[in-house]
Amino acid sequence: MSSLQTFLAMGGYAAYVWPAYAVFFAVLIADSVAPRLRRRRVLRELRARLVRQSTRQNQARQSREPAHPTSSPP
Amino acid sequence: MTSPGLATACAAMLRRDLTLAWRRRGDIAMPVLYALIVTMLFPFALGPEDTLLQRIAGGVVLVTVLLAMLLALDAMFSSDIEDGSLEQLVLAPRPLALMLGMKILAHWITTALPLIVIAPLLAGMLHLPGAVMPVLLLALLLATPLLSLLGAVLVALTAGTRRSGMLLALMLLPLCVPAVIFAAGAVAAAQQGLPWLAPLAWLGAALALAVVLAPLACAAALRIALDA
Amino acid sequence: MASWIPLWLHKLGSPPTFYRFAGTLRPWMLALALLFGLIGLYGGLVLAPPDYQQGDAYRIIFIHVPSAWMSMFIYGVMGMAAFIALVWRIKLAEVVAMESAPIGAAFTFITLVTGSLWGKPMWGTWWTWDARLTSELVLLFLYLGVIGLYHAFEDRRQGARAAAFLAIIGIINVPIVHFSVNWWNTLHQGSTVNLFGPSSIVWAMLWPLLCMTLATKFYYAASLFRRVRTDLLALEGGKDWVRKIAESEA
Repeated sequence: MSSLQTFLAMGGYAAYVWPAYAVFFAVLIADSVAPRLRRRRVLRELRARLVRQSTRQNQARQSREPAHPTSSPP
Repeated sequence: MTSPGLATACAAMLRRDLTLAWRRRGDIAMPVLYALIVTMLFPFALGPEDTLLQRIAGGVVLVTVLLAMLLALDAMFSSDIEDGSLEQLVLAPRPLALMLGMKILAHWITTALPLIVIAPLLAGMLHLPGAVMPVLLLALLLATPLLSLLGAVLVALTAGTRRSGMLLALMLLPLCVPAVIFAAGAVAAAQQGLPWLAPLAWLGAALALAVVLAPLACAAALRIALDA
Repeated sequence: MASWIPLWLHKLGSPPTFYRFAGTLRPWMLALALLFGLIGLYGGLVLAPPDYQQGDAYRIIFIHVPSAWMSMFIYGVMGMAAFIALVWRIKLAEVVAMESAPIGAAFTFITLVTGSLWGKPMWGTWWTWDARLTSELVLLFLYLGVIGLYHAFEDRRQGARAAAFLAIIGIINVPIVHFSVNWWNTLHQGSTVNLFGPSSIVWAMLWPLLCMTLATKFYYAASLFRRVRTDLLALEGGKDWVRKIAESEA
């Protein structure tokens, strides 16, 4: 039996040791991936909001600029 | 014009809550019915053997009473929040903690007391020996106010939220573990003929602490939850 | 003498400063976590000799015990941050407390799962109602309660304050639960398990354990920094410094 095989066999306890390590890494990877995705989402929403704001400002400027203002309330 | 004294205010608060509860008598019966039905399910699920039922009787009654109280907890402040009287209470020139303590007392009288009254019936359905009955009642008398007080703090914390039923259960469960352990422990010890005073003394100590601290915590929690 | 320390702390409490501070520190924390983790894993899985009683099954200790320590350590950090948030109303403390909760819940979950995976071959059962295990389970429920309460509020900051209050109640509760379950155990005379018997742990097993402990601590710092940074961006959405970041980072 090669040394790798003895290592993987864990003295007969492979069925307990490796799942434990798998859970450890799976949970921690999930814990580090979730905020990464959330950060991407937050930044996307922020940029969308910035775009909305700038278009609104442009529209406001255009509606203020026309030479012949249509009937404006007193 | 002189404002009424503190004792008068407390009595008025208590009378108001009890009157409101009395006008909705049906709601008082609900937890009792719930506890009866849940207790009835146990013999069906586990079989009618006397020895088995006797062994679990104390624990089942305690957990059933706890669950019935949990069902009723949600309503402790909800109607007062809806009609705005809770905000008036927060603004009133009286110690909020004391007023909330009165509300908790009223809530305990209307929900826990009926449950304690029928507890001997529930325990009898499960063949709990008569000699253990006083210990069970004493444990309930000490444990239910503790649960009301702890529950009131958590209900106050969820006062600003919409959905709170399951959340309340999730929050209360870790807090009530010690109360359940000591109350059920006293009953189990009495059943085995062991001294049962020590766990009840622990419950009493916890209750004394909670009577002082829980209304203060409840007031602080309510201020946080209604802050928006 | 050291009058710059309070000033520095005060500045660190402001969101943009902390955002930059956490951003520069985070890669180092992650690198240290990986470094210590790899050394600890190599030492624990390869170099350390098998235990004379438990064989190779004891190697779960290298993740189980650090996770258990972290589950309590993070609750302590969360409780302290919650206290600061309630007393001084510092926004950063609220964020730190609320973002610690999911990491703490993750470590508590790992502790419970690895513990039962270790318990099965050693005690012959996945679960036993002993004080340590039960307290850990109650701790998980406490974490979940804090997370649930935080998300039940529509207003983030109000939710954070309510959940911080719950976290502080929980801190008082944990020792009471531990004590009561201990008492309950003696009453019921259950299977008494003694994991760390009189035998003292040998150095070849101890140093990988310490390495893994350091690795989990650094991992917590890295994860917390990333979460806090994201949360600060979301909370301070309308401010100038956030706008600059949103524009510069594609």
